[in-house]
Amino acid sequence: MSFSKVEVRLTVNGTEYVRSVEPRYLLADFLRHELGLTGTHIGCEQGVCGACTVLLDGRTARSCLHFAVQVSGSEVTTIEGVSADESLKPIQDAFHHNHALQCGYCTPGFVMTTVEFLKDNPAPDEAAIRRGLTNNVCRCTGYVNIIKAVAEAADNMPGGEG
Amino acid sequence: MAVQDIPSEDSWKNVGRSIPRREDAWLLTGKGCYVDDVPEPPNTLHLGFVLSPEAHARIVSIDTAEALALPGVVDVLTGDDIAELAQPIHTSFLLEGHRDTFRDAIAREKARFVGEAVAVVVAENPYVAEDGVERVFVSYETLPPAIDLESAARDDAPLVHEELGTNIVLESTFATDGLDEAFAGATQVIKETFRTGRIAGVPMEPRGCLATIDRAGEELTMWTATQIPNLVKTAVANLLDHPESSIRVITPDVGGGFGTKAHFYPEELVCPALALKYGRPVKWIQDRREEILTNIHAREHIYTVEAGIDADGVIVAMRCNMMANAGAYSSYPFGATLEAVGGVRFVLGPYHIRNYGFETRAVASHTCPAGAYRGTAQPTAMLAIEGMMDRIGRAIGVDPAEVRRRNLIKPDQLPYTTVVGMHYRTGSYSESLERALEMIDYSRLRSDQTADRLVDGKYRGIGICCYTENSGMGVAAVRARGWSAIPGFDGALVRVASDGKVKAFISHAACGQGYYTSFAQIVADQLGVHFEDVSIVVGDTGLTPEGSNTFASRGTVTGGGAAVRACLVVADKMKRIAADVMEVSADDIRIEDGVAMVQGVPDMSMTVREIAEVAYSKTPHAMPEGQDYGLEATDHYDAGMPTISNAVHVAAVAVDPDDGTVEVERYVVVHDCGRVINPMIVDGQVHGGAVQALGEVLMEELVYDEAGQLQNATLLEYLLPTAMDAPMMDVEHIQSITDENPGGFKGLGEGGVIGGVPALTNAIADALSGIGANVNVNPLRPSRIADIIDAALGTNSA
Repeated sequence: MSFSKVEVRLTVNGTEYVRSVEPRYLLADFLRHELGLTGTHIGCEQGVCGACTVLLDGRTARSCLHFAVQVSGSEVTTIEGVSADESLKPIQDAFHHNHALQCGYCTPGFVMTTVEFLKDNPAPDEAAIRRGLTNNVCRCTGYVNIIKAVAEAADNMPGGEG
Repeated sequence: MAVQDIPSEDSWKNVGRSIPRREDAWLLTGKGCYVDDVPEPPNTLHLGFVLSPEAHARIVSIDTAEALALPGVVDVLTGDDIAELAQPIHTSFLLEGHRDTFRDAIAREKARFVGEAVAVVVAENPYVAEDGVERVFVSYETLPPAIDLESAARDDAPLVHEELGTNIVLESTFATDGLDEAFAGATQVIKETFRTGRIAGVPMEPRGCLATIDRAGEELTMWTATQIPNLVKTAVANLLDHPESSIRVITPDVGGGFGTKAHFYPEELVCPALALKYGRPVKWIQDRREEILTNIHAREHIYTVEAGIDADGVIVAMRCNMMANAGAYSSYPFGATLEAVGGVRFVLGPYHIRNYGFETRAVASHTCPAGAYRGTAQPTAMLAIEGMMDRIGRAIGVDPAEVRRRNLIKPDQLPYTTVVGMHYRTGSYSESLERALEMIDYSRLRSDQTADRLVDGKYRGIGICCYTENSGMGVAAVRARGWSAIPGFDGALVRVASDGKVKAFISHAACGQGYYTSFAQIVADQLGVHFEDVSIVVGDTGLTPEGSNTFASRGTVTGGGAAVRACLVVADKMKRIAADVMEVSADDIRIEDGVAMVQGVPDMSMTVREIAEVAYSKTPHAMPEGQDYGLEATDHYDAGMPTISNAVHVAAVAVDPDDGTVEVERYVVVHDCGRVINPMIVDGQVHGGAVQALGEVLMEELVYDEAGQLQNATLLEYLLPTAMDAPMMDVEHIQSITDENPGGFKGLGEGGVIGGVPALTNAIADALSGIGANVNVNPLRPSRIADIIDAALGTNSA
């Protein structure tokens, strides 16, 4: 089966990229294999596990559920972009200090979800944190330390209580 | 001065501290390198496997023409084609009663479970490989399958391997002398059957493999998502008849394993076979459907336990009859022994039971092969023995905690050898039970309970699990289990470079355990250098010494043990060099914080760097007489029989009679894994295991229909716990340090799930005991709990 390629124009982590890919090419594959941004992981390709979560025009999205061509013209932020953003450092610091990751495969997705969650909920209680994290699956940590990390990150974010 | 074989107690400085993990630096920032992240070499070929939609069928014909006609498809191979390149996978066993099965990497003649590969498409990119898979047309003659455990065990069941003449691929019996007489002396015999559902590890990263061949066509390098790189290397060498010295297996970051990746899989044979065939890199990345259909399943078990007790509820005799569904093929390297043998050995737990007999069988079926999932048979074995403790309590009207007190191995009975030959050197069986009961305020929880267990509209119950965890298996341990394909030892190479920086190469594979941090804590302490000056290499057979790798909670005992021993040799050499340079006795030298000091002479010292400069001939000072240049040591450590950890989990739950859902209201753990290397990492392992237990008890089950179709091979339908489900837990540690290995360590990777499954199940059973329900099955999904409640109350909601 051969598809003619289409042009996809994406701004990823502040840099604009133009690539020709098949229309069926997933956003996740585009980020990983066209741009080499392998921090976005693929866990299920069905939108369940959340490992591939990125920010698409500022909101969390499953990069495995979008074709790259569908989102041409959009702005995407990946874990690599978050890692370069000093203002978001408290999130990764809190994950580190609370041992909120083990194998690390789901972790970029959790961090992306947390970025959006804390933007919408700067002072969340535990119940809100749990609800906010239900879109992501972690098989290692039992979530206990992730919940603690998100609470700590909320306190330490610029403008947070800490 | 002889080399020390046990570190001094005051040498542990970094060990015992919750040092945040080093690997977080790359895993948190998107710089992790899982197998699909390894930069793809030019000209890489991609594989797509054609999976059987039939559980049991004769392969009549395979039409590859349409697939081959697709632009970008390079080749399509069937089982016969692969058989010309690779021998079938099989493990021979040293165990009587085990019947070996042979598995072609791609099925020939017959498919034996849904998901078994029947052809492989080789293509220029993964999208085209999948297109090709859809264009391979296989004609099958459907045969009747044997699916569930009890059906597959029947004499008239369809045979999975006709040449064996039976589906019983392992049978084993054991009895202590005088067992019948011991039963005759019991005041009563309590009997129960426990059934547990099939589940799987489901790590977040599916598997994958990239195999490359060097320009001479000899050196084979494989990146694969495995826990057992050295065992994969040996298997590939044997099955491809390729020199083992020319195979290097690298496990980059691995996205969770939980035992599922402690098996050698057909794709790990096909990728290197085709890399050799085509002289090009060959890559395959598994998708989630394949992961659930074909990666090792576990826990489809039936235990029937008879406990003869005296008037006080003390077990005077016990029998255990176990069956485990082994699936279609015995897995490599554990065969069909892992669960069926493990279950009847582990079921004695921390209890003093001297009269014991078992019968156990592993049963082949037309389902995905079964094998290791965190805890292997221990969660179900402990469910059986802990379920019996509660039943004894109910039978004689004694609190279940008290029944356990009466049956536990007492401190003055240690060291203790069980009747099946497990050695318990140190442990805190009674102490951890008492502390856990105190933490959860057990007596108040019990006194608050009503006879019907109904409080505020919910059935409330408490469940206890006292368990032992089998860890750190060495050579004697793997031989006792009949495993011929596992060496049993592990290796560490510790090297101090000429600048005083240290690198330790250890034969384990990291899939989330924190090895880069905890092994560095051990090495830093035993060399007397700064933690920051130590780095760790794991998961690369080209760099680390030989070993048996990462499964069955072996890492800290076998890898840590090898590291300690290698460090002691290097430290001894450093002291001899320092003594020679400073003209003092080596016995008076102590190395701490990267500095060798002379006892009693405060102003005399030299740094580890200065010592290393001597060792690498960077200074005019020659090596002391009789010492070789260089500053490194390699140790191959055999930990012998398993080291036994222990813990107690206590759960308090509320069962909603309206919808059958369960809420965990309190959860406490008292955990004893000997010397704790990094408490934060240990707690994380306990949390993760306990929440996997919660999934095992409340949600997870792989459901095959009668035709052998797996009904829920997606994460939409195979439910995993989320942040909404996880209870907060109080975890405390007791450290019963052992002298069985040089570090005094005990393994801990599986304990969370071992303790969690019985504690949660027993808590639900306790909650529903007031209405007369007998809970002896897992999982306990809401619908099943609703059925149990309806049956007990004599109502019918249907």
